[in-house]
Amino acid sequence: MKVEDLGSGVFRVSHEGRQDLIYVAGPTGRRWAFWCGQVFREESFAEAVAPRRGRHAGLQPVSAPMPSTVLKILAQPGQRIAKGDAVVIVEAMKMELPLRASADATVRAVRCREGELVAADVVLVELE
Amino acid sequence: MELTRLLVANRGEIAVRVIRACRELGIESVAVYSDADARAQHVLVADRAVRLGPPPPTESYLSIPAVIEAARATGAQAVHPGYGFLSENPAFARACERTGLIFVGPPGDVMARMGSKIDARALMQSAGVPIVPGDTPHDQSDEGIRRAAERVGLPVLIKASAGGGGKGMRRVQDASALLEAIQAARREALAAFNDGTLYVERLIDEPHHVEVQIMADHHGAVVHLFERECSVQRRHQKVIEETPSPLLTPTLRAQITDAAVRAARAAGYRNAGTIEFLVEPTAHDGDARFYFLEMNTRLQVEHPITESVTGVDLVHAQLAVAVGRPLPWTQDALTQRGHAIEARVYAESPARGFVPQAGPLWLVREPRLPGIRVDTGVAEGDQISVHYDPLIAKVVAHAETRVAAIERLTHALHAFPILGIETNVPLLVAILGHSAFREGRVDTGFLDREGRALVDASVPTALPDPVRAVFGASAPSAPVTYRTGISSRHDWDPWATLRRGTA
Repeated sequence: MKVEDLGSGVFRVSHEGRQDLIYVAGPTGRRWAFWCGQVFREESFAEAVAPRRGRHAGLQPVSAPMPSTVLKILAQPGQRIAKGDAVVIVEAMKMELPLRASADATVRAVRCREGELVAADVVLVELE
Repeated sequence: MELTRLLVANRGEIAVRVIRACRELGIESVAVYSDADARAQHVLVADRAVRLGPPPPTESYLSIPAVIEAARATGAQAVHPGYGFLSENPAFARACERTGLIFVGPPGDVMARMGSKIDARALMQSAGVPIVPGDTPHDQSDEGIRRAAERVGLPVLIKASAGGGGKGMRRVQDASALLEAIQAARREALAAFNDGTLYVERLIDEPHHVEVQIMADHHGAVVHLFERECSVQRRHQKVIEETPSPLLTPTLRAQITDAAVRAARAAGYRNAGTIEFLVEPTAHDGDARFYFLEMNTRLQVEHPITESVTGVDLVHAQLAVAVGRPLPWTQDALTQRGHAIEARVYAESPARGFVPQAGPLWLVREPRLPGIRVDTGVAEGDQISVHYDPLIAKVVAHAETRVAAIERLTHALHAFPILGIETNVPLLVAILGHSAFREGRVDTGFLDREGRALVDASVPTALPDPVRAVFGASAPSAPVTYRTGISSRHDWDPWATLRRGTA
């Protein structure tokens, strides 16, 4: 399989008389590629996936999926909540997004305030 | 009156589209921007640009004083509101009228009447246009809305009177979910429209969403520009639109377009508007029933498909009508030619519950193909901000037949790489390939039912050999290929060239 860098993120891959154009961008190790309407991310297919930060036995953080505003906190520390219950409602791009518990749990800590602007992946509520 | 300078009170692809029309008509364009958009595409393509304020919409694109002042300071005679933001805000239309600015849209009082979904329903009923059975309680408390829902009978839709775009709307199947839905709808309506008034409608089972484009002038002429079928929706956000509708028979098309013109006349409408209907399909031709859903008193996101099949330019017509000229076409001159389909490209992650995405666009290459129109407000190197709508591009295919248009659009999406930000492009490709879509029998519940399977099917589980080969090849010469700033815009952007030629 022959790979040619055509510049500007465009690569030609030739194999057995067939060729494909693939678009590639991003930092080494975290590159993205576009081929035939599909996007492939290098890191998603890496051999070993590093364990995610802040995740250890019994502790399940509810975190912001993207930069957003905390609209409403629906859980208090010590409260028992059931799987699927909304814990926090955040707002991004004018849409409300309820963040729900992925299992039955007890609220250990609330790490945000209503009205607060939070970055992506920031832990908002700790569940146990 | 001659229009010489227009302020475009919007951002993104619609601002770019309106500014393009200005350039074609020899009208000077004034863009407005927030600090997050200082180098956005709509700012770069305009003749002048005025800062409105900080990134939050309430302090920039939604600030009536800031927009009016920008128009006054630049000597603009008219304001085009685009869609969203202030486009359906009667206070803004009236503020323009008071300041002596021409508002490119209907008069403020007409907008107010149609913008209140509750008043609009009453008006349509009196004009003989069928409406969805429902209830508008005077008692707006949780209990009042709950009782209205029980009167209508579950399942119901809880809707915001000031609503649009699915905001402030909740579908309720059983009584236990009512309270949470009422409160969420009210909260969302208050946040988005500053009006928490709610009403309840019977949930029509598996309807099609069919809307009619209309256009009216100051001289009493009202024409329709046929229908658009927008049944591919995710939680009331349109994803794919097409025209003609695969559902309408010639008889039904005549009935529904006639009802739309009647509705526009009843409203005393002017300029471009859209009447949305729910169509309940039945086994027998001509038996399908349609109901008035709402009127959108502005240009729609999906207006390009209408432009493709009718061959007209709606923004040109809007600007002509706004200064009192008669409509450029008569009803008899308007026909549907071929088939057009639009796919909306959203910066969102379908695999993670469709959360909007923000961040840098490392690589964007728009497809350049015959019969393909791309309306976009972003370019390679731009930053997608968390503050605004996640719609980043619209890809429109026009062809002789529906099948040819589907193939053409699929091919265009295969040739539209966007890297750095996750988008719904793989999902769009999957929808276009789905048998229900191919057969034209998609209702508004289709994506909510089939979405999960379509998303799963569109997420790659293994690296194809050619992609593996590229990743495996030696590291690229430049480790990070995305750029920031505007200095390195590529030659695929025709605006860059156009602007240099005329600046």
